[in-house]
Amino acid sequence: MSSVDQILEREVRRGMTRQDLIKRAGALGLVLTAGSFGPLTEAAFARTQIKRGGTFRYATPGGPSDFIDGLHIVAKSDQARRMATFDPLALFNTNGKIELALAEELKAEKANQYLIRVKDGIEFHNGKTLTIDDVIYSIKRTLDPKLKLFGQGPLSAIDPKRIKKLDKRTCRLFLSRPDVTLSESFAQHYQGVVPVGYSPTGLGKGRLAYVGTGAFKVKSFTPGRESVHVRNPNYWRNGQPYFDEVRIINFTGDASKVNALLSGQVDAIIDVPYAQVPIVRSRKDLRMYSAPTGAWDPLCMRVDVAPYKDVRVRRALRLLANRPQMVAQGLSGFGHIGNDLFAPGDALAGKGFPQRQYDPEQAKSLLKQAGQSDLAIELITSPQDTGMVEGATIFAQNAKAGGVTVKVTDRADAFYDDQYLKYPFSADYWGTRNYLQQVAVGMLSTAAFNETHWDAYENYPKYKALYGQALGAVDEKKRGAIIHEMQQMEYNDGGLIIWGFKNLTDAYSAKVGGFKIDPGTLNLNKYGNGFRTIYFV
Amino acid sequence: MHGITGFVVRRLLLGLLTLFAASLIIFGATQALPGDAARSILGRAAQPESLALLRHQLGLDKPVWQQYWEWISGVFTGDLGSSLANGLAVTDVLGERLLYSSFLMLIAAAISVPLGIVLGAVSARKRDSAFDQTAGVATLGLAALPEFVVGITLAVLFSTTVFHVLPSVIVTEEGVGPWHYPKEFVLPVLTLVIAVVPYTSRIMRASTVEILESDFVEMARLKGLSESRVLWRHAVPNALAPTFQVTALNLAYLAGGIVVVETVFNYPGIGSLLVESVRARDMPTVQAIALLITGLYVVLNLLADLATILVSPRLRTSLE
Repeated sequence: MSSVDQILEREVRRGMTRQDLIKRAGALGLVLTAGSFGPLTEAAFARTQIKRGGTFRYATPGGPSDFIDGLHIVAKSDQARRMATFDPLALFNTNGKIELALAEELKAEKANQYLIRVKDGIEFHNGKTLTIDDVIYSIKRTLDPKLKLFGQGPLSAIDPKRIKKLDKRTCRLFLSRPDVTLSESFAQHYQGVVPVGYSPTGLGKGRLAYVGTGAFKVKSFTPGRESVHVRNPNYWRNGQPYFDEVRIINFTGDASKVNALLSGQVDAIIDVPYAQVPIVRSRKDLRMYSAPTGAWDPLCMRVDVAPYKDVRVRRALRLLANRPQMVAQGLSGFGHIGNDLFAPGDALAGKGFPQRQYDPEQAKSLLKQAGQSDLAIELITSPQDTGMVEGATIFAQNAKAGGVTVKVTDRADAFYDDQYLKYPFSADYWGTRNYLQQVAVGMLSTAAFNETHWDAYENYPKYKALYGQALGAVDEKKRGAIIHEMQQMEYNDGGLIIWGFKNLTDAYSAKVGGFKIDPGTLNLNKYGNGFRTIYFV
Repeated sequence: MHGITGFVVRRLLLGLLTLFAASLIIFGATQALPGDAARSILGRAAQPESLALLRHQLGLDKPVWQQYWEWISGVFTGDLGSSLANGLAVTDVLGERLLYSSFLMLIAAAISVPLGIVLGAVSARKRDSAFDQTAGVATLGLAALPEFVVGITLAVLFSTTVFHVLPSVIVTEEGVGPWHYPKEFVLPVLTLVIAVVPYTSRIMRASTVEILESDFVEMARLKGLSESRVLWRHAVPNALAPTFQVTALNLAYLAGGIVVVETVFNYPGIGSLLVESVRARDMPTVQAIALLITGLYVVLNLLADLATILVSPRLRTSLE
């Protein structure tokens, strides 16, 4: 049995302060002698540099369409605000593994049956205790087609009519089709838990607007301008959060947000333009946060349109991407090279495929076989995301060695009304997703962004069937084998040129501690896990 | 109607006509932009059905002429509609931002107009001196720089890199007036002053030079008046007429210049709101701001013409 000192030391390591310990000593069943602590605990206090309190100022991109909803996001500003206000059932930790949050249990009993149990004694901002009814309500709200929420597609396997409440904290979900990725869907950054009856109609109006279980409560919010969040004193995670207040301030331009950080008017910014990184690096009072992610800017060839219809042309063009150069110049080195396969963070994907190299000679011979020796094509790109225009431009240079003339057209409006999905050869951008989740949104005939029109591929019926099998494969080894077979098709015959994956280039003040390198899709270690794991030092 | 009143009334009516024409152009331009508010609100992942539903809710599926009619009839009753981005009344969205922008423009104008006039007059008086040549090179050089270059350079110089004496952006609290942030104002105001002073001073210099060579100035000199009295009493008032026109244009230009300056300094005015609203395809807000800026142009031009008439006896009497 561990001593009182050991127990308390552990509490300090988990973030408890001296005041917290004195207050909670009774509850822990411990008796303190005149408020003094043992040597281990005192040492732990000395180690923690955490200073409580203060106002953290975060500069967000965004605009007048910003909103706060526990179950929806569109822009990065919405992500940060949702993270601060609402907790999810589960989340991806910094190892890319699912970690339970509000859920005490979240598991696939079968491929088409899930069990959810929430933790006991968690409170919403309005004082109501979290029960399974809130989770059921959140799921049903997500699935309501009228609300157009982000998670509607990912949760669509759940049959809303057959959710069975087992007790106050537990329910069982029955799926209309097998989906072993459902836990991943619950861990996505847009999937919070809202209280029963939550139905905000807009800006803080409507029932229970802004009421979550998150570490911060919304004090005020003006879209396009600023939101102010104050510490939730009844937060369920020990000792968190550390700040008294978080201000999420909108910035319109790149120059102004970088300047705001340089002059100390904000404490953190995201997506520092590559050209400005050296300036931030040169400053002792600032820190760069550069985490590798699974975000990618593919060049997409439509497999149903000539000349890309011919698999030899697709293979040739893939050989004409000088990937190391594209990463070095297109991303200023802030990234790592790709192998025409997405989801690099998925433990079950991408294994055993030799790295594709730049090989103009082989490309030439493939094109000759295809009767396309003097190929001249147009590649449409857009300044939608860093690296898209740069990558396309360098690719066009690389392709010359293979005798291919690539005309790069920069169309700022390519993404309005999804015109880019119709172009035969275009650049796109994607965030981090695990393999099967990405297939659902980018590869299937039902996918909203099927840029390569992969459903026209000759072996697509088999690919689709494999996808169905993978969703039903609870056993990871078996699922991994199926995924490998699917990826083999993409690797050999696919229409995506995936040349690289991007790092985040965020920056923060050296006065702030607690950021951990996080391979997920959100910036700044999920905005310091919704600002609750970061603090002033 | 005769005289100055008739002139003003006629010009006001013409101004209304201008505004009407501008409203058509503004509306047409916003319709021509690719994409719409529904797409911007729902983001990339939106399904076609959701988009159609939202377009219907926002009234974006109505015929264009009907949308225009609803907007323009609202404008006449003081109702600028609701923001498509967040549902707030446009007048509420504009409220504090309008105050911030007007404050910025007024301070910039209050500094740049007198400064431009004095600089131009002195340059003319000391024509071809070292002062005149330095001022000439400096003003022409500055006039060639776009505001964002000036703004960013000032921020690098005084805030982020060389000296750390001024804030580089303005971070305000809601409901707190702009006059509570004197330090934050220095760089945005300075940027606008640098943008406007060159034009005013060059025109002022040119017209003063011309006047200084005219017969009546020669006469004044022959009368034995001191050179500074000749300049400030006789030459400058006569040189002001063309300067008023340029100043009015420049002040109107300030209204556009704030779009860039506000973005560089993250200033919470209507300029940065315009940029954000275009991005969000929030047409009612875009239209309201564009119409406001057009209105400002009309009013400033009218004031300049009036001022020109008042300082030019020949024009003044011709109206009577």
